[in-house]
Amino acid sequence: MASTDYKADTERGKEVVPPAAPPTVNCFAADITLRVLLFVASVAAVVSIVTANQTKIIPVLGEREAKFNHLKAFIYFVVALSIAGLYSIITTLASISVLSKPALSTKLLLYFAFWDVLVLGLVASATGTAGGVAYVGWKGEDHAGWAELCSTYDKFCHHVAGSLAVSLFASVVLVLLSWLSIYTLHSRIPK
Amino acid sequence: MEGENKARRGGCDLLLRLLAFALTLVSAILLGVDKQTKIVPIQIVSSLPPLHVPVTAKWQYQSAFVYLMVANIIASSYAVLSLLLSFTSMGGNNILELAIFVGDSLMVALLFSGSGASAAIGLVAYEGNSRVQWQKVCNVFGSFCAKVAASVLISMLGGVAFMLLVLYSGLRLHKRSSRTK
Repeated sequence: MASTDYKADTERGKEVVPPAAPPTVNCFAADITLRVLLFVASVAAVVSIVTANQTKIIPVLGEREAKFNHLKAFIYFVVALSIAGLYSIITTLASISVLSKPALSTKLLLYFAFWDVLVLGLVASATGTAGGVAYVGWKGEDHAGWAELCSTYDKFCHHVAGSLAVSLFASVVLVLLSWLSIYTLHSRIPK
Repeated sequence: MEGENKARRGGCDLLLRLLAFALTLVSAILLGVDKQTKIVPIQIVSSLPPLHVPVTAKWQYQSAFVYLMVANIIASSYAVLSLLLSFTSMGGNNILELAIFVGDSLMVALLFSGSGASAAIGLVAYEGNSRVQWQKVCNVFGSFCAKVAASVLISMLGGVAFMLLVLYSGLRLHKRSSRTK
Protein backbone atom coordinates (compact mmCIF):
# COMPACT_ATOMS: atom_id res chain seq x y z
CA MET A 1 0.00 0.00 0.00
CA ALA A 2 2.79 2.35 0.90
CA SER A 3 4.58 1.69 -2.36
CA THR A 4 1.59 2.52 -4.56
CA ASP A 5 1.10 5.66 -2.60
CA TYR A 6 4.72 6.46 -3.02
CA LYS A 7 4.29 6.11 -6.75
CA ALA A 8 1.17 8.23 -6.73
CA ASP A 9 3.07 10.94 -4.94
CA THR A 10 5.76 11.00 -7.60
CA GLU A 11 3.12 11.15 -10.29
CA ARG A 12 1.67 14.23 -8.81
CA GLY A 13 5.12 15.71 -8.86
CA LYS A 14 5.34 16.28 -5.16
CA GLU A 15 8.29 15.92 -2.95
CA VAL A 16 8.75 12.28 -2.22
CA VAL A 17 9.09 11.17 1.35
CA PRO A 18 12.01 8.80 1.77
CA PRO A 19 10.56 5.34 2.39
CA ALA A 20 13.18 4.48 5.01
CA ALA A 21 11.51 6.58 7.71
CA PRO A 22 8.05 7.63 6.63
CA PRO A 23 6.67 10.17 9.09
CA THR A 24 3.12 9.76 7.88
CA VAL A 25 1.68 7.02 5.76
CA ASN A 26 -0.71 8.47 3.25
CA CYS A 27 -3.19 6.38 1.35
CA PHE A 28 -5.30 9.28 0.24
CA ALA A 29 -4.80 8.56 -3.46
CA ALA A 30 -6.36 5.13 -3.01
CA ASP A 31 -8.94 6.67 -0.73
CA ILE A 32 -10.03 9.22 -3.33
CA THR A 33 -10.18 6.56 -6.05
CA LEU A 34 -12.43 4.38 -3.91
CA ARG A 35 -14.65 7.31 -3.02
CA VAL A 36 -15.09 8.23 -6.68
CA LEU A 37 -15.94 4.58 -7.36
CA LEU A 38 -18.51 4.71 -4.57
CA PHE A 39 -20.06 7.80 -6.14
CA VAL A 40 -20.24 6.17 -9.57
CA ALA A 41 -21.71 2.98 -8.10
CA SER A 42 -24.41 4.71 -6.08
CA VAL A 43 -25.44 6.95 -8.96
CA ALA A 44 -25.58 3.92 -11.30
CA ALA A 45 -27.68 1.98 -8.79
CA VAL A 46 -30.15 4.83 -8.34
CA VAL A 47 -30.43 5.53 -12.08
CA SER A 48 -30.88 1.86 -12.91
CA ILE A 49 -33.74 1.34 -10.46
CA VAL A 50 -35.48 4.67 -11.11
CA THR A 51 -35.56 4.04 -14.86
CA ALA A 52 -36.97 0.55 -14.38
CA ASN A 53 -40.45 1.23 -15.70
CA GLN A 54 -42.36 -1.44 -17.52
CA THR A 55 -45.94 -1.44 -18.65
CA LYS A 56 -47.58 -4.66 -19.70
CA ILE A 57 -51.05 -5.55 -20.83
CA ILE A 58 -52.28 -8.41 -18.76
CA PRO A 59 -55.45 -10.26 -19.70
CA VAL A 60 -58.38 -9.63 -17.31
CA LEU A 61 -56.50 -6.96 -15.30
CA GLY A 62 -55.77 -4.68 -18.22
CA GLU A 63 -52.73 -2.44 -18.44
CA ARG A 64 -50.36 -2.79 -15.53
CA GLU A 65 -47.25 -0.83 -14.75
CA ALA A 66 -44.26 -1.94 -12.71
CA LYS A 67 -42.37 0.90 -11.07
CA PHE A 68 -39.89 1.05 -8.25
CA ASN A 69 -42.07 3.20 -6.00
CA HIS A 70 -44.78 0.57 -5.84
CA LEU A 71 -42.70 -1.25 -3.26
CA LYS A 72 -41.56 0.49 -0.10
CA ALA A 73 -38.36 -1.55 -0.02
CA PHE A 74 -37.26 -0.03 -3.33
CA ILE A 75 -38.08 3.49 -2.13
CA TYR A 76 -35.86 2.93 0.88
CA PHE A 77 -33.18 1.58 -1.43
CA VAL A 78 -33.25 4.70 -3.60
CA VAL A 79 -33.11 7.02 -0.58
CA ALA A 80 -30.23 5.11 1.01
CA LEU A 81 -28.17 4.97 -2.17
CA SER A 82 -28.79 8.67 -2.81
CA ILE A 83 -27.48 9.43 0.68
CA ALA A 84 -24.44 7.27 -0.06
CA GLY A 85 -23.84 9.19 -3.29
CA LEU A 86 -24.05 12.51 -1.48
CA TYR A 87 -21.78 11.22 1.24
CA SER A 88 -19.21 10.13 -1.35
CA ILE A 89 -19.14 13.63 -2.88
CA ILE A 90 -18.61 15.29 0.50
CA THR A 91 -15.92 12.86 1.60
CA THR A 92 -14.10 13.01 -1.74
CA LEU A 93 -13.84 16.77 -1.33
CA ALA A 94 -12.71 16.34 2.27
CA SER A 95 -10.14 13.79 1.21
CA ILE A 96 -8.79 16.06 -1.52
CA SER A 97 -8.61 19.01 0.85
CA VAL A 98 -6.30 17.23 3.29
CA LEU A 99 -3.94 15.91 0.61
CA SER A 100 -1.49 18.68 1.34
CA LYS A 101 -2.01 18.74 5.10
CA PRO A 102 -0.99 15.43 6.62
CA ALA A 103 -1.26 16.77 10.17
CA LEU A 104 -4.98 17.27 9.83
CA SER A 105 -5.59 13.97 8.19
CA THR A 106 -5.18 11.77 11.26
CA LYS A 107 -8.32 13.21 12.76
CA LEU A 108 -10.10 12.97 9.43
CA LEU A 109 -9.16 9.30 9.12
CA LEU A 110 -10.93 8.60 12.39
CA TYR A 111 -14.09 10.32 11.17
CA PHE A 112 -13.83 8.45 7.87
CA ALA A 113 -13.43 5.09 9.59
CA PHE A 114 -16.58 5.64 11.57
CA TRP A 115 -18.78 7.32 8.97
CA ASP A 116 -17.79 4.78 6.33
CA VAL A 117 -19.03 2.00 8.55
CA LEU A 118 -22.22 3.91 9.32
CA VAL A 119 -22.90 4.41 5.61
CA LEU A 120 -21.92 0.77 5.07
CA GLY A 121 -24.71 -0.18 7.48
CA LEU A 122 -27.12 1.98 5.51
CA VAL A 123 -26.13 0.64 2.08
CA ALA A 124 -25.98 -2.97 3.31
CA SER A 125 -29.45 -2.74 4.84
CA ALA A 126 -30.80 -1.12 1.67
CA THR A 127 -29.26 -3.87 -0.46
CA GLY A 128 -30.70 -6.48 1.88
CA THR A 129 -34.12 -4.85 1.86
CA ALA A 130 -34.38 -4.52 -1.89
CA GLY A 131 -32.73 -7.91 -2.38
CA GLY A 132 -35.20 -9.64 -0.07
CA VAL A 133 -38.18 -8.26 -1.95
CA ALA A 134 -36.58 -8.81 -5.35
CA TYR A 135 -35.91 -12.44 -4.48
CA VAL A 136 -39.57 -13.00 -3.69
CA GLY A 137 -40.47 -11.21 -6.92
CA TRP A 138 -38.15 -13.50 -8.82
CA LYS A 139 -38.97 -16.84 -7.19
CA GLY A 140 -42.40 -16.23 -5.73
CA GLU A 141 -43.46 -17.49 -2.33
CA ASP A 142 -45.93 -20.35 -2.35
CA HIS A 143 -46.61 -20.51 1.39
CA ALA A 144 -47.83 -16.96 1.53
CA GLY A 145 -49.38 -17.15 -1.91
CA TRP A 146 -47.17 -14.39 -3.35
CA ALA A 147 -46.88 -14.87 -7.07
CA GLU A 148 -43.59 -14.30 -8.86
CA LEU A 149 -43.44 -11.24 -11.07
CA CYS A 150 -40.29 -11.49 -13.11
CA SER A 151 -41.73 -13.63 -15.89
CA THR A 152 -44.20 -10.81 -16.54
CA TYR A 153 -41.99 -7.80 -15.86
CA ASP A 154 -38.71 -9.13 -17.22
CA LYS A 155 -37.20 -5.76 -18.16
CA PHE A 156 -38.10 -4.29 -14.77
CA CYS A 157 -36.47 -7.23 -13.01
CA HIS A 158 -33.29 -6.86 -15.06
CA HIS A 159 -33.00 -3.23 -14.03
CA VAL A 160 -33.52 -4.12 -10.37
CA ALA A 161 -30.98 -6.94 -10.55
CA GLY A 162 -28.40 -4.62 -12.12
CA SER A 163 -29.06 -2.02 -9.48
CA LEU A 164 -28.65 -4.59 -6.70
CA ALA A 165 -25.39 -5.85 -8.14
CA VAL A 166 -24.00 -2.33 -8.27
CA SER A 167 -25.10 -1.56 -4.71
CA LEU A 168 -23.44 -4.76 -3.54
CA PHE A 169 -20.29 -3.44 -5.17
CA ALA A 170 -20.81 -0.13 -3.33
CA SER A 171 -20.97 -2.03 -0.03
CA VAL A 172 -17.69 -3.75 -0.84
CA VAL A 173 -16.13 -0.37 -1.65
CA LEU A 174 -17.34 1.01 1.68
CA VAL A 175 -15.85 -1.95 3.55
CA LEU A 176 -12.53 -1.38 1.76
CA LEU A 177 -12.66 2.33 2.56
CA SER A 178 -13.05 1.75 6.28
CA TRP A 179 -10.27 -0.85 6.20
CA LEU A 180 -8.04 1.63 4.42
CA SER A 181 -8.65 4.34 7.02
CA ILE A 182 -7.96 1.97 9.87
CA TYR A 183 -4.89 0.58 8.16
CA THR A 184 -3.51 4.08 7.65
CA LEU A 185 -4.21 5.00 11.26
CA HIS A 186 -2.59 1.79 12.36
CA SER A 187 0.56 2.37 10.33
CA ARG A 188 0.92 5.82 11.87
CA ILE A 189 1.30 4.44 15.36
CA PRO A 190 4.80 5.37 16.48
CA LYS A 191 6.89 2.29 16.90
CA MET B 1 -2.39 5.02 35.00
CA GLU B 2 -1.68 3.90 31.47
CA GLY B 3 -2.22 0.26 32.29
CA GLU B 4 -5.42 0.99 34.14
CA ASN B 5 -6.65 3.01 31.21
CA LYS B 6 -5.90 0.18 28.85
CA ALA B 7 -7.68 -2.33 31.08
CA ARG B 8 -10.78 -0.18 31.28
CA ARG B 9 -10.84 0.30 27.53
CA GLY B 10 -10.37 -3.42 27.05
CA GLY B 11 -13.21 -4.03 29.50
CA CYS B 12 -15.57 -1.84 27.52
CA ASP B 13 -14.60 -3.66 24.34
CA LEU B 14 -15.27 -7.04 25.93
CA LEU B 15 -18.61 -5.86 27.30
CA LEU B 16 -19.73 -4.64 23.88
CA ARG B 17 -18.62 -7.90 22.32
CA LEU B 18 -20.55 -9.87 24.92
CA LEU B 19 -23.58 -7.71 24.21
CA ALA B 20 -23.27 -8.29 20.47
CA PHE B 21 -23.01 -12.03 21.10
CA ALA B 22 -26.08 -12.06 23.36
CA LEU B 23 -28.17 -9.97 20.97
CA THR B 24 -27.42 -12.05 17.88
CA LEU B 25 -27.92 -15.30 19.81
CA VAL B 26 -31.28 -14.15 21.20
CA SER B 27 -32.34 -13.01 17.75
CA ALA B 28 -31.42 -16.40 16.25
CA ILE B 29 -33.22 -18.32 19.00
CA LEU B 30 -36.30 -16.13 18.78
CA LEU B 31 -36.47 -16.73 15.04
CA GLY B 32 -35.66 -20.42 15.40
CA VAL B 33 -38.53 -21.21 17.76
CA ASP B 34 -40.95 -19.09 15.78
CA LYS B 35 -43.75 -21.25 14.48
CA GLN B 36 -47.49 -20.78 14.40
CA THR B 37 -50.25 -23.07 13.21
CA LYS B 38 -53.70 -21.75 12.51
CA ILE B 39 -56.90 -23.31 11.30
CA VAL B 40 -57.81 -21.34 8.22
CA PRO B 41 -61.16 -21.67 6.46
CA ILE B 42 -60.65 -22.17 2.74
CA GLN B 43 -63.52 -21.81 0.33
CA ILE B 44 -63.05 -24.17 -2.56
CA VAL B 45 -66.52 -24.26 -4.03
CA SER B 46 -68.86 -21.44 -3.15
CA SER B 47 -71.87 -23.69 -2.67
CA LEU B 48 -70.13 -25.89 -0.08
CA PRO B 49 -69.22 -24.79 3.47
CA PRO B 50 -65.57 -23.68 3.79
CA LEU B 51 -62.94 -26.30 4.46
CA HIS B 52 -60.96 -25.83 7.66
CA VAL B 53 -57.30 -26.51 7.02
CA PRO B 54 -54.43 -26.13 9.50
CA VAL B 55 -51.78 -23.84 8.03
CA THR B 56 -48.35 -23.42 9.58
CA ALA B 57 -46.06 -20.40 9.35
CA LYS B 58 -42.38 -21.23 9.78
CA TRP B 59 -39.25 -19.19 9.41
CA GLN B 60 -37.78 -21.72 6.96
CA TYR B 61 -40.46 -20.88 4.40
CA GLN B 62 -39.06 -17.42 3.68
CA SER B 63 -35.58 -17.18 2.21
CA ALA B 64 -35.11 -13.77 3.82
CA PHE B 65 -35.67 -15.26 7.26
CA VAL B 66 -33.26 -18.07 6.48
CA TYR B 67 -30.69 -15.44 5.52
CA LEU B 68 -31.31 -13.57 8.78
CA MET B 69 -30.88 -16.82 10.70
CA VAL B 70 -27.57 -17.60 8.98
CA ALA B 71 -26.35 -14.02 9.50
CA ASN B 72 -27.20 -14.19 13.19
CA ILE B 73 -25.48 -17.54 13.67
CA ILE B 74 -22.34 -16.35 11.87
CA ALA B 75 -22.29 -13.10 13.85
CA SER B 76 -22.73 -14.78 17.22
CA SER B 77 -20.06 -17.40 16.50
CA TYR B 78 -17.74 -14.64 15.34
CA ALA B 79 -18.52 -12.66 18.51
CA VAL B 80 -17.48 -15.62 20.68
CA LEU B 81 -14.33 -16.17 18.64
CA SER B 82 -13.30 -12.52 18.75
CA LEU B 83 -14.16 -12.37 22.44
CA LEU B 84 -11.79 -15.23 23.14
CA LEU B 85 -9.10 -13.79 20.88
CA SER B 86 -9.23 -10.31 22.37
CA PHE B 87 -9.38 -11.79 25.87
CA THR B 88 -6.19 -13.75 25.34
CA SER B 89 -4.33 -10.76 23.90
CA MET B 90 -5.31 -7.81 26.04
CA GLY B 91 -1.80 -6.39 25.72
CA GLY B 92 -2.42 -5.25 22.16
CA ASN B 93 -1.41 -7.54 19.36
CA ASN B 94 -1.46 -5.18 16.42
CA ILE B 95 -2.20 -7.62 13.61
CA LEU B 96 -4.95 -9.23 15.64
CA GLU B 97 -6.47 -5.85 16.32
CA LEU B 98 -6.64 -5.12 12.60
CA ALA B 99 -8.08 -8.57 11.89
CA ILE B 100 -10.78 -8.02 14.50
CA PHE B 101 -11.60 -4.65 12.98
CA VAL B 102 -11.99 -6.30 9.59
CA GLY B 103 -14.31 -8.91 11.09
CA ASP B 104 -16.36 -6.34 12.98
CA SER B 105 -17.01 -4.24 9.89
CA LEU B 106 -18.03 -7.35 7.95
CA MET B 107 -20.47 -8.26 10.71
CA VAL B 108 -22.01 -4.78 10.48
CA ALA B 109 -22.70 -5.37 6.79
CA LEU B 110 -23.95 -8.92 7.35
CA LEU B 111 -26.33 -8.11 10.20
CA PHE B 112 -27.74 -4.98 8.61
CA SER B 113 -28.38 -6.67 5.28
CA GLY B 114 -29.98 -9.66 7.00
CA SER B 115 -32.27 -7.61 9.17
CA GLY B 116 -33.05 -5.33 6.22
CA ALA B 117 -34.12 -8.26 4.05
CA SER B 118 -36.31 -9.70 6.80
CA ALA B 119 -37.79 -6.32 7.63
CA ALA B 120 -38.77 -5.81 3.99
CA ILE B 121 -40.45 -9.22 3.80
CA GLY B 122 -42.08 -8.60 7.17
CA LEU B 123 -43.46 -5.28 5.94
CA VAL B 124 -44.98 -6.93 2.87
CA ALA B 125 -46.45 -9.64 5.12
CA TYR B 126 -47.84 -6.98 7.46
CA GLU B 127 -49.28 -4.59 4.91
CA GLY B 128 -49.66 -6.66 1.80
CA ASN B 129 -49.11 -5.02 -1.56
CA SER B 130 -52.07 -4.44 -3.81
CA ARG B 131 -49.93 -3.40 -6.79
CA VAL B 132 -48.28 -6.78 -7.13
CA GLN B 133 -51.14 -8.73 -5.54
CA TRP B 134 -49.24 -10.00 -2.55
CA GLN B 135 -51.72 -10.65 0.24
CA LYS B 136 -50.95 -9.74 3.81
CA VAL B 137 -50.28 -12.65 6.09
CA CYS B 138 -49.87 -11.06 9.51
CA ASN B 139 -53.59 -10.67 10.12
CA VAL B 140 -53.68 -14.48 10.32
CA PHE B 141 -50.27 -15.20 11.84
CA GLY B 142 -50.13 -12.35 14.34
CA SER B 143 -47.80 -13.79 16.95
CA PHE B 144 -45.51 -15.22 14.27
CA CYS B 145 -45.08 -11.77 12.77
CA ALA B 146 -44.53 -10.16 16.18
CA LYS B 147 -41.72 -12.58 16.93
CA VAL B 148 -40.09 -11.98 13.55
CA ALA B 149 -40.29 -8.23 14.17
CA ALA B 150 -38.63 -8.66 17.57
CA SER B 151 -35.94 -10.85 16.05
CA VAL B 152 -35.23 -8.28 13.32
CA LEU B 153 -35.02 -5.47 15.86
CA ILE B 154 -32.68 -7.39 18.14
CA SER B 155 -30.43 -8.38 15.27
CA MET B 156 -30.30 -4.73 14.18
CA LEU B 157 -29.21 -3.81 17.71
CA GLY B 158 -26.52 -6.47 17.39
CA GLY B 159 -25.39 -4.70 14.22
CA VAL B 160 -25.27 -1.41 16.14
CA ALA B 161 -23.12 -3.09 18.82
CA PHE B 162 -20.63 -4.14 16.14
CA MET B 163 -20.73 -0.62 14.74
CA LEU B 164 -19.81 0.76 18.17
CA LEU B 165 -16.96 -1.74 18.34
CA VAL B 166 -15.68 -0.38 15.04
CA LEU B 167 -15.88 3.18 16.36
CA TYR B 168 -14.11 2.04 19.45
CA SER B 169 -11.14 0.51 17.69
CA GLY B 170 -10.94 3.61 15.49
CA LEU B 171 -10.77 5.83 18.56
CA ARG B 172 -8.16 3.62 20.15
CA LEU B 173 -5.94 3.64 17.07
CA HIS B 174 -6.37 7.37 16.68
CA LYS B 175 -5.28 8.00 20.24
CA ARG B 176 -2.21 5.87 19.79
CA SER B 177 -1.22 7.26 16.41
CA SER B 178 -1.47 10.91 17.46
CA ARG B 179 0.49 10.48 20.64
CA THR B 180 3.78 11.66 19.14
CA LYS B 181 2.66 15.20 18.44
